[in-house]
Amino acid sequence: MSFDIALIIESVPKMLVGVGITLQLLFLSTLFGTLLAIVTLLMRIGPFRWLRWPAIAYIYFFRGTPMLVQIFVIYYGLAQFEFVRDSFLWPALRVPFWCAIIAFSLNVGAYTAEILRGAVQGVEKGLLEAGSALGLTARQRFIHITTPIAVRLSLPAYGNEIISLMKSTALASTITIFDTMGVARTIMAQTFKPYEVFISAAIIYLVIVWFIQMGIALAERRFGRYMKR
Amino acid sequence: MIVVGWLDEFMWGSLVVLQIFFLALIMAVTWGLLGAAAKLSSNRAAKLTATVFTTIFRGTPELLVLLIIYFGSAITLTSIAQFFDPEVKFVDIPPLWAGSFAVSLIIGAYATETFRGAFQGVDPGTVEAARSLGISSTKTFFYVRLPQMWRLALPGFGNHMLSLVKDTALVSVIGLEEILFTADIATSVTIQPFTMYMVAALIYLGFTTVIMYGVRLMEKRANRHLEGGR
Amino acid sequence: MAQTEQDPIIRLKNVDKFFGDFQALKKVNLEVFKGQKVVVCGPSGSGKSTMIRCINRLESHDGGRILVNGIELNDSLRNIDAVRSEVGMVFQQFNLFPHLTAVGNLMLAPRLVRKKSKAEAREIAMRYLERVHIPEQADKYPVQLSGGQQQRVAIARALCMNPEIMLFDEPTSALDPEMIHEVLDVMVELANEGMTMICVTHEMGFARSVADLTVFMDAGEIVEAKPPQEFFENPEHERTRLFLSQILSH
Repeated sequence: MSFDIALIIESVPKMLVGVGITLQLLFLSTLFGTLLAIVTLLMRIGPFRWLRWPAIAYIYFFRGTPMLVQIFVIYYGLAQFEFVRDSFLWPALRVPFWCAIIAFSLNVGAYTAEILRGAVQGVEKGLLEAGSALGLTARQRFIHITTPIAVRLSLPAYGNEIISLMKSTALASTITIFDTMGVARTIMAQTFKPYEVFISAAIIYLVIVWFIQMGIALAERRFGRYMKR
Repeated sequence: MIVVGWLDEFMWGSLVVLQIFFLALIMAVTWGLLGAAAKLSSNRAAKLTATVFTTIFRGTPELLVLLIIYFGSAITLTSIAQFFDPEVKFVDIPPLWAGSFAVSLIIGAYATETFRGAFQGVDPGTVEAARSLGISSTKTFFYVRLPQMWRLALPGFGNHMLSLVKDTALVSVIGLEEILFTADIATSVTIQPFTMYMVAALIYLGFTTVIMYGVRLMEKRANRHLEGGR
Repeated sequence: MAQTEQDPIIRLKNVDKFFGDFQALKKVNLEVFKGQKVVVCGPSGSGKSTMIRCINRLESHDGGRILVNGIELNDSLRNIDAVRSEVGMVFQQFNLFPHLTAVGNLMLAPRLVRKKSKAEAREIAMRYLERVHIPEQADKYPVQLSGGQQQRVAIARALCMNPEIMLFDEPTSALDPEMIHEVLDVMVELANEGMTMICVTHEMGFARSVADLTVFMDAGEIVEAKPPQEFFENPEHERTRLFLSQILSH
């Protein structure tokens, strides 16, 4: 057994094609997932009980089951139903890429909704009382006091959630998507040199994580200006 | 119901998940405690090693870690075996062990950070008080620092246990016959993928629910000394 | 009163202590005899706490010698725990073990260090809780107790080891005014029973009524050490006078 450095140099450019897919998965799922999280949050903490329960059930299911199982339910599972196959959504649900996006978004939505809820609850009550004392309505208090503070409070956990999502995108390779991980597994199947191939992939992922962390740190500084002395 | 015919297979799959869970849990706690000790020590080499450990295993996809451990160890073992007997084609670590080990490294990296933070949260005054009573540093660790650290670490560690049980699903990728693998087989026979994967999902949901309530009970127990505080 | 014929039970000789460049103790000399009560006062940062923490080797000194009960404290000392178990210490912030009940706090050291059985340790613990007048709080956790009760538990915890010497590091400074007297009462009782005590405190009433020796420290040095009568009525040094005028005018 020997360590094949040439193979690493050869594999990295091929994997960079996969990196494009990884980043697409990451970006689109973050976007859709965050929107979904905001809707879920409003359902969860809003005044209507009949909206609260679906939100709770959704969060409970997606936080309580493995991502890989969710992907399989959506990609392989939905095809079991004729009405799904006949529906206008089928062209999208047939494509692995979109199934992955749906699974990731639903997952991010559930986790982020809980992160946001924690942040909203973490806003000091005295500030809201001060708002009421000044005559702000409940809606005004939510928009002008709760939201900006909660955004700052949620950032560290939200950042971890994005990193966690980035790592989860590797699961897309199990439904024939050629993201970074998918390309790595193909090269591995051809060469059977796991160390060289997978360590190259690991380095790529670590670099992406590093970039995300920088971005989050930047955002924390941007939104946390008022916390600096 | 078509599911009923597959119940015993799913049950065996669940037992495999439990095996991985407990094996990996024991290892992960070990890595976590060692990692936290290394990060808090004044030894620079130990600190650096722990930092490299947490950076790699918290920043690399779980699936990738699993595949490196499984195929990496397999190729190493195979070449060693071929050195003695050229006829050998493939030797691997049993997927159960490779899978548990890989998952334990990931969770262990997260636990390292949780334990480190929790140890730092223990009031150093209580450690001094124990030392001033003549209690040895080893005993101070086990009777004073560890129980206090555990209470602080529990919420975070509870989440790690949830991640851990969900990560066991990955081990199906290296061919271990756990719940998701069972669902694959059942699907290929019955052609009812939604039903079978949902069964897998619901079994996992059962596991995570039990863990969630277990952690809540443990937290209650660990926090009983805070009840009725002034 | 002090038994001057015997050797001192605590002896500090030219003790120096540094924190980085900062010198916390400068050539400190002190002798304490068995049964003596010493009150140490001085402005914050004057080295009072550092000095008594050195006596229990929670800090190690950098120069000079410290002898406790005939044993020299230094790096080659193999069993510091044996020395510590003879020297009780009470802290400003109580430092009770939050995960143990009051009686659990008291039982821990007798069980781990003295190897007592659970029943024996509990019996000892209850005896000392009675001595500090709170046996009824035995099964409560520290957060469920008032500050004064917590500090009395802390005193009882130290007494359970049956120490020769008790060190008090500002035991009443973290307490609300109405709770100070209940802790001081326990300390006076202890003094009357003949315990050797060193107390860092600003409770000058306590110093007057109990102390055999009052020590004033400033900037890491012992400025003045006298019996309380002389100390309060006829302070020799300007620094002592200034300090006393500040602390007694309140």
